[in-house]
This record gives sequence, structure tokens and C-alpha cells, in this order.
Amino acid sequence: MTHPSIHRLPRFRAAAVLTALIGCTAHADAAVAPAEGSGSSSGARIFSHICQGCHMPDAHGAVGAGHYPQLAGDAALASWQYAATTVLNGRKGMPPFGRPGAGYSGFLNFVMVYLTDAEVADVVNYVRSNFGNHFKETVTAAQVSALAHPGTPAAH
Amino acid sequence: MNDDRAPSALSRRDLFRMIGITAGSAAMYQAMSALGFAADSPYAGPVDLQHAPRGASVLILGAGMAGMTAAYELRNAGYRVQVLEFNGRAGGRNWSLRGGDRYTELGGAVQECVFDKDLYINPGPWRIPHHHRGMLHYCKMLGVPLEAFVQVNYQAYLHNSGAFGGKPQRYREIKADYQGHVAELLAKATRQNALDSGVSKEDQEKLLESLREWGALDGNFQYLASDETSDRRGFKKPPGGGLSARPTPSEPIGLTDLLKSDLWQNIPNGDIYDMQTALFQPVGGMGRIGEAFGRELGPLIRYNSKVVDIRQDDRGVSATYVDPANPDARMTARADWCLCTIPLSILAQIPMNVSPAMARAISAVPYASAVKVGLQFKRRFWEEDEHIYGGISYTNLPILNIGYPSTGYHSGGKGVLLGAYIWGPHAMEFTAMSPAERVRKAVEYGSQIHPQYPAEFDNGVAVAWHRSPFTMGCFGIWSDAARAAHYDDLCRVDGRIALAGEHASFITAWQEGAVTSALDAVGRLHQRAVAEGDKA
Repeated sequence: MTHPSIHRLPRFRAAAVLTALIGCTAHADAAVAPAEGSGSSSGARIFSHICQGCHMPDAHGAVGAGHYPQLAGDAALASWQYAATTVLNGRKGMPPFGRPGAGYSGFLNFVMVYLTDAEVADVVNYVRSNFGNHFKETVTAAQVSALAHPGTPAAH
Repeated sequence: MNDDRAPSALSRRDLFRMIGITAGSAAMYQAMSALGFAADSPYAGPVDLQHAPRGASVLILGAGMAGMTAAYELRNAGYRVQVLEFNGRAGGRNWSLRGGDRYTELGGAVQECVFDKDLYINPGPWRIPHHHRGMLHYCKMLGVPLEAFVQVNYQAYLHNSGAFGGKPQRYREIKADYQGHVAELLAKATRQNALDSGVSKEDQEKLLESLREWGALDGNFQYLASDETSDRRGFKKPPGGGLSARPTPSEPIGLTDLLKSDLWQNIPNGDIYDMQTALFQPVGGMGRIGEAFGRELGPLIRYNSKVVDIRQDDRGVSATYVDPANPDARMTARADWCLCTIPLSILAQIPMNVSPAMARAISAVPYASAVKVGLQFKRRFWEEDEHIYGGISYTNLPILNIGYPSTGYHSGGKGVLLGAYIWGPHAMEFTAMSPAERVRKAVEYGSQIHPQYPAEFDNGVAVAWHRSPFTMGCFGIWSDAARAAHYDDLCRVDGRIALAGEHASFITAWQEGAVTSALDAVGRLHQRAVAEGDKA
């Protein structure tokens, strides 16, 4: 759909939106309190403002004609690379959240939401240390930067 | 040649049919274009599926616009058709929520719509441009009455919470002032000979004349308060009759304030091809089309059927499906051919033996987020107090749009607004809320534009497309790179399976994309079926 404004809207950054929204919404804090030991309120905010739209506030996912995977107690999260790569590049219908390494059209910039490498690290750390997941090592922005990003040759 | 008719005896319609049969639909389309028809639509008229093989069958997955378009045409051509649909209704994203409807989103939240009689919200598509001729064709065929959809309303608002003290501005004023100031500046540059040498003396004169007209400039090429400029932007006191009739002109907004406000961003919305007047909506809600299609196809559609596996072999295609209420009872439907219109967000999760190229294409398209909120108010205050009849107000608040109903003007009683139409990051934010929270936020934000909201609000419903059980997203987002790498593989017939839907089109997110992709795919499946010949 060629929405109005697509030619003019600047590339959205989730962080800017989160900052703007947290000032006027209370639901995030009510929905998911930052869990103990996460050490990452940014991760909790990103989860409660973006991820839980599909993966649900309890990270149990959902089933309809297809399904959203459960992230609670998810053994696949043992690989932080898998988790971070999924957030950066999307997976099947899931949108990519990594900042593109190559040119994307105006339309994409208009509907997509981008996270910085630090924000990707934060939300990966948050999910891997909450919802019954107890993975110990913490991922850094630098480690996320080294992974393939949208529009780079490695990430189709 | 033993035909003694003169060539002129061929009617133009015959000529089209001949070209269509012998050279395929692309040639027919080009021919029609050259003769002044079909100049602006990919829809090339009713699809020609003559000589369907006797006994041939097609299994169609999904009873949305694509699936039902295909089912309708294939049935009429003589194919045996069966449609499997996940929902308990026809239409897919072609859908209206009305009083008495119940909607359960992913995660289990249930909404009971309690709108008054005849009031509705279209959670998905809500307008049909005049050049979406495939959609218009099927509306006509199905007897779905249309009415005008107001896209541009000069009385509606442009709003930026950080400009003009947060006070919404009339589209009329912003447009007139922007045009007037730009015209004045350009006229000044023209008269100072500051334009490029490409503008001849004669061009200059014509340009100045046109700028005066376009911008409502005065004799000195200035944009100032006057009857002429007020005739564009509206009067401080409008002209009337009798002794109190004398108008008072209004004062234009200064150029700096106007530019700083960013409100000019939304001036050209109605100039976009898909938004150009005339646009239409079905009387009674967009969902009337899907409902009519569903009635037309009747028992060909099996509802509450969730496809869990698709297998093809060298003789046909089998789809395994379950009723979600009884998921252990697996059933199978089989046909010679399959047209699959399941959104890629879901299809990517269904086992299906297609080529690696098609499988990669199916997995290469992420789905966009979008949210719509319908708000019922105790009275139509936007008409009664603000004289806004249809159209859209645009805002930088997270709700992005407020859409006013293009129907039921002046009717007493309650009214329903589209209280939010959100995409991008705010759509994800709203998706992450509960439905009640989305409605509450839509009322809260909308109150900044219409202060009547808190007193007049009655009830609301909110649809977040990523929470939709039957699409898991709003529409497929094709990056340029993904299109280049995968689009053709997605659309090519793979053995006995073809895909259709807005995701298999260049009219992303529009129903016309679903219709034209279905007709295109059906035409190609038909060619294969004809080549294979009659069934026993």
C-alpha cells in the first residue's frame, strides 16, 4: 500500500519511538516488570514495546493459522548468535530489526523498525535471562556488530 | 481463407478476443492500451479460461479476495473447485466489524463489537481507487453497491503536537498558504531573472501568470490577506446573505511558521496515484465484497479449515487440514492443481514440497505491522461541530490518522470514527498493548485533536494485524533485493502449485494486488491443465 507520507518520513528508529512513548504510556511497566538479574531495563522495554506484540507478554507465543514461537524456556536461545541473528535479520514472516547495511527503498524505511546493535544486545540478553531462560553469558553490542545485518551479502 | 467477411466486420471486442487467445493476455493488454483501453490498470478484463479440460479440479487455499476471485473464475470455466478457509467467514482481510461481531486475537483477547446498527469499522482495506478495475469489476458482478470514499477533505485537520501550540489546522488553510507562499517566492525569483536560462522570456510570462492563478497572488505577485486568498483558505467571517453578509478576509499563516510546522508533509497525500479521486467503498462496509463472494461460492468453501500440510506428486496436490476446534482429526482434500493464497507469514511454516527456489521465496518476505482502532461516539460531533464529512485528519501523534465515515451523513444517533490507523514503530507499540489499552490510547491521543472525545466516547474495538490469527501481519514487505532475488520464483507455477495474493503482486497491500495476481496465476494454471488434457 503506497501510504501517504512514505516519501517524507525519516527512517524510524525504535529507540526514539520508545523514548517518545514511554513518556506517555504506562502500560510497558505494568505489563512486564524488568525481571531480576536482567540488568537491562532497555531490553525489558524493547521486549514489552515490540517483541510481545507477537511473542506475547509471557513469551509463550501463540497459535493461529500459523504460530509465533515460544521464547520462554527456549533451548534454541542457548546460541546467542541464533537469537541476535534472528532479531537482526528476521526469520520468515518476522521483520528484520537490524539497521540495513545496504540501501533499502523508501517504503521499507517507512514501515520498518530499526534497533541499534546495543539495543539488539540488550533485548537478547533480556530474553535469554528471563521467562525461564537462564543463559549466563552477556552479549555485547560489539559482538552483535560482527554478525550479518540486513542488506549485507551474508544475510541475503 | 474462405471467410468472405471484410476485416472491418470484426468488432473491436472480437479483435481483443482474437489477440487474447492467440498471443496471451500480455499481448491483449498491450493491444487494448494501444487502442485507448486499459491504459492505467493491470486488470485486462474478464479472464479467458476457455476449453477447460473435462473433469479437471483445482484446490484453492484461502477464501480471501485472491482465492475467491480464482474460485469464481475457475468454477465458471468448468473446473471442479474446492476452497479451504481458516476463518469461519469469507473475505480474509476484506472484513468489516459490526455490532454483534466477536473477534478473538492471538493471545486470546476477545473483543465484542457493540457498535450501533449500520455502524462499522474496516480493520483492513477501506477504499478502492477508481483504477483498481479488477476490484470494481467483481463488485459489479456480485451486485455490491458502491459509494464515494472521501480521501481528501479540505475541512479535515493537519496536526503536529509541536506546532501552533498543538492546535490542529485545517487542510484548506495549510494547502492554500503553502501554495501561496511558494508561488510568491517563485514569482519573485522569476521576475528577478534568477531562474535558469532554460526559462525563456515567453515561458517567464506564462509562468508568472500561472503562479498568480495557482497561488492566488495579487497584482504585485504577493500572497496577502484578501478576498481572493480567503477564497482559497477560508474567511475569518464568511460571506452570507442580508445585512450581516459582508465577509472578512482571514490572515494567512507566515511562511516561517508554516515551514517549521512540517504540516506541508501531508499536503500531497491525495495526489498519490492510489489516493486520487474518485475512490469508492462498498455500502455497508468493505466486508460486503467478501460476504457476497462467499454467498456466490456457497458450498464450494469449507470454513474452519486450517491447512497443516501440502503435498504434490505427479498426478495432483493434497492438502491436509484440521478444524482448529478438533485438531486431532486430520482431513485431506485433493485436486489436480492447487492455487495457494495463504499469506507467506503462515505458508512459510506449512510443510510443502515445492522447489527450493519457491521455498526460499516464501521465507523471504516479512510482514508489516498495522493497527486500526474503531471508536463509537454518542453523536457525530465531527459533522455537527466541525463540519467534517468524510476524509482524513493526519497527525504526528502515534494514532497517525483519524478517518471520518464517508457515509450516513447527518444521521442522528451515534457514529463511528476510525480513531487510529497506525503503521511503523507505533503499530508495533500498539500491537504490544491489550485491545482495551489500544482503545484507551486512541481516545487519549485523539482528544488532542477533537476535545469532544472524552465526553462523547462510547466504546471501541482495536485490530492489530500481527495479532490476527489468519494473517500474522498486515501485508508482505518486499525489499528491492528480495524482489529481485525471489519474486519471479514466488509467482512461477511450481509443478502443480501456484501462489496468489497481494504478496504475489506489485500492488502490495491492496486488494487489487490479490485480484490481479489470482487472475494471472489462474491463467497460467489453466494453460498447464489444457496441455495435460481431459481427465478420465
